[in-house]
Amino acid sequence: MGCQPPHPQGQLVVANKSSLESVDPVDVFSFAGTQLLSAVGDPLYAADHRGQLQPRLATALPQFSADGLTARIPLRRDVRFHDGTPFDAEAMVFNLERFRQLGKLSYLLDDRIRAVRASGPYELELSLQRPYRALASLLSSINLAPVSPSAYRNFAKRSLSNRFVGTGPYRLASFSPQKQQLLPFENYWGPQPKNKGIHLITLSNSTALYGSLLSGEVDVLISSGLESDQQEALNARARRGQLALGEGPAAEIGYLTLMSQQPPFNQAVVRQAVALSVNRPLISQRVSFGLRPPLRSLVPPPLEGAEPPAWPRYNPKAARALYRQAGYCSGQRLKLPLTFRSNVPSDRLFALTWQAQLQKDLGDCVELEVTGVESTTAYRQLEQGVYPMIVLDWVGDYPDPDVYLSPMLSCSRSSGDHCLEGSSVAFGSFWDGPGVQALLRESEASSGAARRDSLRRVQQLAAEGAAYIPIWQVTPRAWAQAHLKPPRFDGSGRLLLQDLESRHR
Amino acid sequence: MSRRRHLIGYIASRLALVPVMLWLIASLVFLLLRVAPGDPIDALLGTRAPQAARDALRQQLGLDQSLLAQYGHYLSDLLQGQLGISLTNQEPVSAVIARSLPASLELGLTALLLAAGLGLAVGFSGIARPEGKLDLSARLFGIGTYAMPPFWAAMLVQLVFAVWLGWLPVGGRFPATLIPPEGSGFYLLDSLRNGDSTQFWGAVRHLVLPASTLGFLLSGIFANALRLNLRRALDSDYVEAARSRGLSERRVVLRHALPNALLPVLTIAGITVASLIGGALLIEVTYSWPGIAFRLQEAISQRDYPVVQGIVVVVAALVVAVSVLVDLLVALLDPRVNF
Repeated sequence: MGCQPPHPQGQLVVANKSSLESVDPVDVFSFAGTQLLSAVGDPLYAADHRGQLQPRLATALPQFSADGLTARIPLRRDVRFHDGTPFDAEAMVFNLERFRQLGKLSYLLDDRIRAVRASGPYELELSLQRPYRALASLLSSINLAPVSPSAYRNFAKRSLSNRFVGTGPYRLASFSPQKQQLLPFENYWGPQPKNKGIHLITLSNSTALYGSLLSGEVDVLISSGLESDQQEALNARARRGQLALGEGPAAEIGYLTLMSQQPPFNQAVVRQAVALSVNRPLISQRVSFGLRPPLRSLVPPPLEGAEPPAWPRYNPKAARALYRQAGYCSGQRLKLPLTFRSNVPSDRLFALTWQAQLQKDLGDCVELEVTGVESTTAYRQLEQGVYPMIVLDWVGDYPDPDVYLSPMLSCSRSSGDHCLEGSSVAFGSFWDGPGVQALLRESEASSGAARRDSLRRVQQLAAEGAAYIPIWQVTPRAWAQAHLKPPRFDGSGRLLLQDLESRHR
Repeated sequence: MSRRRHLIGYIASRLALVPVMLWLIASLVFLLLRVAPGDPIDALLGTRAPQAARDALRQQLGLDQSLLAQYGHYLSDLLQGQLGISLTNQEPVSAVIARSLPASLELGLTALLLAAGLGLAVGFSGIARPEGKLDLSARLFGIGTYAMPPFWAAMLVQLVFAVWLGWLPVGGRFPATLIPPEGSGFYLLDSLRNGDSTQFWGAVRHLVLPASTLGFLLSGIFANALRLNLRRALDSDYVEAARSRGLSERRVVLRHALPNALLPVLTIAGITVASLIGGALLIEVTYSWPGIAFRLQEAISQRDYPVVQGIVVVVAALVVAVSVLVDLLVALLDPRVNF
């Protein structure tokens, strides 16, 4: 290691790739933004590392009325904002209303919540559009972390990008897009952070990130934006005890969308054959050294509904039989057009690796034709049905199966299996299966075993329809210098900055 | 007409063209951004939001208005000196530029000084023995540094000096654990003004690698320009005349040939300054230097129209100003220039 200047006693430097343009919860949607918010803010609930929801600013899970349309949430009484003002139900109402008005992700609430009011000084009452038992999961979204109404009085109708006055274990001491300083909040209601402060910095390329950890310039490195070979090299160092590795649950999944209303994917048998043609373990190994574990469900584990996986394993024999059934393999090869986002390296690698795998295993039946397109162009044209097959990724806004299944499968108007209007159109599959919408509503309104059953059945239908084919999950990782304890993540896949500490404390 | 009057006329004609050029550039960037595929809503939300939410955000950001109405607002704001509000964080574009431009200028000017110093020294070194070993090396240096891919050179320097040797920081503009000095945005000047040596050396340590890399890459232009012009000057009649008067070779080179050879180099320096105002994108990205080019690249990927438009217009205005200034300087220094 080189001769880097020492960091202030007990303070740690944490690096990631994305810069941060705003720290206001109404603006934030990137990983870097939610990572920062999770340290300076507190939502009503939070998922722990096992995926279990725990009350944070709430004291218990929501109590629902008999018709499921009203929820009451009791709040903590010992919470103060960073500016010293107390947190109460009115503050929470201010925040939820502000988010509905200004939030870039305001649809999270609009679709679920009809009205909000303080039913007591420390009790919140939410009127729902329709029964939604996963309300606590929704309220665990870090974008709903409250900010001080007195500090944001002049920002009720516009965002405040460079300050944050919330209730989290750290207060934001300084902010610039490339660098943020967090210091422990002395009046925090919960346990104090185990370090004396965090400096979050942005380094704009993978080599700089990798190098900064090796040179000792940073203490902890977050995997977001780091190339797979560099992640593997850091893992190798961790295995030798030179670094401490921490892994979190996946919030991001990679999947294929097949446009179900145009040839060749308007034949269910072709879609099912494609679903059997993806050798996930091989592709995961070749593209990411196995760091993106294969996924055969649209819901990433450990969320409810991830097990058992509904999509079939790689089976070239069964795939060939289906391609034959569709009229291919006997001298005629099916051309599969695959689009990938040219600015996403893993997508390009997936496309090329799958192309080679198909050529080797099913070359007499299919030929993969790959085309790259820039991501914003792809998003724009998705709902126009331009792409017969495209590889994409998806990150749930909060840890619940519903935020993975509903966006892909919801359809408000359809004709047979053709979705004419709804989320399924926006996702480019245009697919709707018999009973899928009813099962999605059932899943929203139920809990426990009944919900698990709905989730299993809806995924079974989606796997049979094969308009989406899950490929892999992206697990977040962080590497710390060897003198630190291994980093830990919360159930939303965010690094617990307050838990970072020396091994020799 | 006197030379002075000619000069004033020349300045007036150059300045009169500035608003027209800026209007053309501003209109072109407005149009090109709208023609380019993708839009801010796609860049912000990807596929994640339902159509109603996307429409609401489009309305909130004023992107639902007709192209003509948006253009009208844009030009009207520009005439009042308003560059607009960033779509990603609602921050005034002028604040974004005020934060990023000094970073690019600090890096660019330091690199320019290094490039000029190194390039002129190399260009001058082979002059005693044309086609000798030193001259050949100077020529190779000029071609080599000019042809070297900036990102490759920057990564190599970064790997050797920051990662392997650990002598200097990998990237960024200021030590992570220090609060940057407040003031002009030029950290070296601000920290000197504060009298804070920790801040100053912190800023210097972060500046060394990007500035030397950029300076090294630019030095070839100066080396080749000086070498060629000096050679031409030494072959000219007035130098022959000076030699025939019995002046020493040292005096011939330093007093007669060099000043004339430096005039074209001044023009090249002007062009280089103008190009560096817009930032050195690959160097800024490689070293995570939060300059104007880095910010522009982010804004383009985010389809943040006002930020892209604002940066392009401001940089264009500065480039035009520097070009006019250099032209004037050359005109003043070189009596052969006609207006």
